[in-house]
Amino acid sequence: MWIRKIPDLRQLAIVLLLAVLVFLTLVPILFMLFSSLKSNAQILGNFWGMPSPARWGNYSEAFSSIWRYIVNTVGYAVAGSVCVMLLSAVSGYLFAKKSFPGKELLFMLMLAMMMVPGILTLIPSYVLYENLGLTNTPWVIILSCAAGGQVFGTFLCRTFMAGLPSELFEAARIDGATEIRVFLQVVIPLSLPIMATLFIMQSVGVYNDYVWPLLTIQNSSLQVISVGLTIFTKQFGITDMGTQFAAYAISSVPLLLIFSFGMKYYIQGMTQGALKL
Amino acid sequence: MRRTAWILLALALLLGTSPQIASAQAQWSLEGAGDITSIAVAEDGSRIAIGSHGARTYVYDKEGNKLFEAPANNVVNAVDLLADGTVLAASDDRRLYAYGPDGAKRWEADLKRQVKSMSASSDGSVVALVLQRNNDLVFVNGETGETSGSAPIGTALRFVQVSGNGERIVVASGDQFVYLLDKTGKPLGKLGAGGQIQSIVVSDEGVSAIGTKLGEVELFDAQGKLQHKLKTRDMVSAVAFSKDGKMVAVSDLSGYFYIFTIQGKKLWEYKAGDTGRAVAFDPEGKTLYAGTDDGRILPFDTGSVVAQAKSDARIRMLVWAIGSVAAIALLYVLLTAMRKKGKLGVFREIWRSKWVYLGLAPSFLLIFLFLYFPAFSGLFHSLYKWQPGGRTTFIGLDNFKRMVHDPYVTKGLGNLIILIVTGLIKSLIPPLIVAELIYHLRGKRLQYGFRTAFTASMVIPAVAGLLIWQNFYDPNLGLFNNFLELIGLGSWAHGWLGDPKTALWALIFMGFPFVGILQLLVFYAGLLAISGELIESAKIDGASLPRIIRSIHLPLLAGQFKFLIILGLIGIIQDFNGIMIVTGGGPMDSTYVPALQMYYAATKFSELGYASALGVSMFAVILVITIINMKFIKSAED
Repeated sequence: MWIRKIPDLRQLAIVLLLAVLVFLTLVPILFMLFSSLKSNAQILGNFWGMPSPARWGNYSEAFSSIWRYIVNTVGYAVAGSVCVMLLSAVSGYLFAKKSFPGKELLFMLMLAMMMVPGILTLIPSYVLYENLGLTNTPWVIILSCAAGGQVFGTFLCRTFMAGLPSELFEAARIDGATEIRVFLQVVIPLSLPIMATLFIMQSVGVYNDYVWPLLTIQNSSLQVISVGLTIFTKQFGITDMGTQFAAYAISSVPLLLIFSFGMKYYIQGMTQGALKL
Repeated sequence: MRRTAWILLALALLLGTSPQIASAQAQWSLEGAGDITSIAVAEDGSRIAIGSHGARTYVYDKEGNKLFEAPANNVVNAVDLLADGTVLAASDDRRLYAYGPDGAKRWEADLKRQVKSMSASSDGSVVALVLQRNNDLVFVNGETGETSGSAPIGTALRFVQVSGNGERIVVASGDQFVYLLDKTGKPLGKLGAGGQIQSIVVSDEGVSAIGTKLGEVELFDAQGKLQHKLKTRDMVSAVAFSKDGKMVAVSDLSGYFYIFTIQGKKLWEYKAGDTGRAVAFDPEGKTLYAGTDDGRILPFDTGSVVAQAKSDARIRMLVWAIGSVAAIALLYVLLTAMRKKGKLGVFREIWRSKWVYLGLAPSFLLIFLFLYFPAFSGLFHSLYKWQPGGRTTFIGLDNFKRMVHDPYVTKGLGNLIILIVTGLIKSLIPPLIVAELIYHLRGKRLQYGFRTAFTASMVIPAVAGLLIWQNFYDPNLGLFNNFLELIGLGSWAHGWLGDPKTALWALIFMGFPFVGILQLLVFYAGLLAISGELIESAKIDGASLPRIIRSIHLPLLAGQFKFLIILGLIGIIQDFNGIMIVTGGGPMDSTYVPALQMYYAATKFSELGYASALGVSMFAVILVITIINMKFIKSAED
C-alpha cells in the first residue's frame, strides 16, 4: 500500500542517500587521485583547487621508487596462491571423495588450525623461520602463505568437490583413466570456479599483508609493497605529497586488475568462507 | 604389568641421557687475584701456572700448594708452562717474563706494546705473541726472550695458540677469522667463525676449537672443515683440549663449565660461580682446572665423569637394545591379538590407501611444521624467559604476572574495550542500513550498481588506505582541518593524531562511513534469503515498513548478527596494523593495544617469552569467545 502512495519520492530518497554514502566511502580514493597530480605548493596554497597544471611527473617518479616492491609482491602472491591451490585441490579431493583409515582424525587436525588465531603464532613463527634461515628470502612469504592458506583452501575445496557427482569419476575410471588422470582431467576442470576463488583470495591476502613481511624481511630489494609504501612515506617525508599519493594509486593497479576480473569469485569466497567458519 | 616395565625403561633412558655431575675437589682461592685470565698445566701435570687480572702469576703444585707467585705491573693476559719448568707470563705492562722452576726470574723482554696473547710449545721452541694493535704474529726465542721473527697476517689479531708439540699455530683476528700456520709461521689456511671469537685452541693433531660470542664452540678438523658446533648457555670465555685431543673443555660467561668429546657429545656440565674464565686439563685428562672471575681455581675430578660416560654409553646401548626387542615383542603380541580378532584389515586398508597418504603428505608436513609447531612453541615459551641467542629459562607464570603490572597492557586493555564497543557498532549498524537501502531499491541494475560501487573501495591496498587516512588528519595539509576551515569552523582545527585526548577517537573514526564490504554482503544475502511471501503477508496485514524491519528482518538476520559479532571480536582483538602504521601506539601510550605491545615486546625489546605470554592470553580470550559462540549456536539450534 505505502509503496504505491509515494513510490518515486521514496526511491529517489534512497538513491540519493546511497549516493552520498558511496561518495563518502570513496572519498579516500578520490582524494588520492586528486592530490596525486598536485605539487606540495599546490596542496598548501590551493587545497580545494583543481590540479593545474596537472603534474603527471609525480607518477613516473613514484613508479621508479616502488615498481620493485610491486613486482616482488605480485611474484610472492602468485607463487603462494599457486601453492595453496595445488595443496588444497589435492587434499580437498582426497578428503571429499576417498575413504581411508584416519580420515576424520586428519581432517580434524586440519580444522583445528582454523581456530588458532594468528596472534598466537606470529612471534613463534618468526623465530622458527629465523632458525630455519628463511627470513629475508622470498620463501618466508610464500611458505607461510602456502601453509596457512591451504587449511581454509582444503576446507573450501572439500565442500565444493563433495558436491561433484561421483558417477562422473566412476565413468572416467571405467574408461581406463588412472587416478591421476581423473584428478587432472575431470576434477580440476570442474573445480575451476573454486580454484579461482582461492587464487584471488590468497593473492589479495598476500598483497595486503603488512606485519609478517615487516617482521621477516629486512632486505629492501625483497620487500613487499605494503611495507614499501610506509618506507617510501618516510623517505620522502612531507616534501613530496603528490608523489606519495601517486604511489598509492600505482600500488592499487594490481588489485584493480584482479578485482575487475574476479570480483565475483572474491565475494563468493569471502561470503562462503565466512558463513561456514 | 607391561606399563610398569615401560615406565622403568623410560626412567632408565632419562637417567642415562642426563649429563653427569662431577664434584669439585677442595677449591683454591687466590687472594687478590680477581679474574683468572689463563691457566696452564705442565706436560707432566706436576705444576699449574695461573695468570690473573690482579697482575700476578701464580704457580701451584697439583695438590694445591703454592710454589711461588711473581708480580707484573699490569694484567697478566696469558701464562704457559714449558717442559723444563719455565713459566712464561705475558702482561699488559708490555713485557714477557720468564721464571725458572724455583721462581727466579730468568729474563724479561720489553715488547713496547701490551702483550694480549701468548702461547708456547711444551719444549719452548715456539713462543708466539699477539701484541696490541699489531697485524703481525711475533715469535720470540724461549731461551733469551729476544724477538726471533714475525709472520704478517694483515689484520688486527686477538688470540694465538700453539699446539703442545709446536707443529700447529692458530691465530684469531678481530674480524671472525682464524688463521692456521705451521711452526715457522707459514700460512696453511683460514677459517671463518660464526661469531666474534672469544677463545681458540688447537690440538697436536691440528683439530681446532673456536669459542664465539654466540655461545658456540666450533670444531674444525685438521683440514679446516667444520665438524661440529657445540652449544653452550652463554658466550664462550675459554676452550681447552685434553692432551690426547679427544676432549674439549669449555667455560662460559654464566659460570658453566663443560666437557665435550670432539665428536660433539656433551659429557658433563657444571655451574660454579657467576662467570667462568679459564679452563685447562691435566695431561692425563683426569682433572679439569677451572678458573672463575672471583679468583678461584676449581679442580674437577673429571676422570670419573669420563669413565662414567663410557659405561653409560654401554648401558644406554643395552637399554636401547632391550627396549627395541620389547617394542618388537609388543608389536608382535598386538598383531597376533588383532589377527585373532580378525582386525588386520586395517593395515591392508592403510596399505591400499598409500597414495592417499602420499597426496596428503605435503599438506600435513607444512601444517605440522609451520602451524602446529609455532602454536605449541608459543604456549610452551609463554612460561619461559626467552631471548634470541640467550638462555631459555623456566620462570613459571612470571610473564603473566608481569603482564598484569605492565602499564602499557592495562592501558591497552582499556583502549581495546573502547575499540571493541565502537568497532562492533561500526561493523554492524552502517552495513545493515546500507543493505536495507539497497534491498529496497526497485531496479535490479541499480542494486547491482550500488553494490559494486561500495566494493570499489577495496581496490586500494589496506596500507595505502591507512596512510591516506593518516594524511587526512595532518594538522596543516590534512583534509579535516581544511574542511573545517572551509565551512568556517577553523577554530576547531586540531592536531588530531598528536593529541593523546583525540588520537584514539581519530583512529576509530578512520574508515567513515564504515560500510564494511563483508558485512554489507552478508546482510544483503541474508535479506535476499528471507522469503517474499512472509513480507507479502505482513503487508496484507497492514504492517508498516519499520514494523516489517523490526519484526521480520531483524529476527531473521540473527544468525548473521551473531556471526559478524564473533568475527568482529576476533578481528579487533588481533588487529594492530592500523594503529602501528598511523600512530605507533602514541602519543605517549594513548593508542596502545595489547597486540601492539606484544609486537613491540618481541621486536624492540627481544622479549620473546613475554610476547608469547601476551599472544597466549589473547588466544585464550578468543578461544573463550569461540566456545561460548559454539555453545550459543548449539543451544539456539536445539
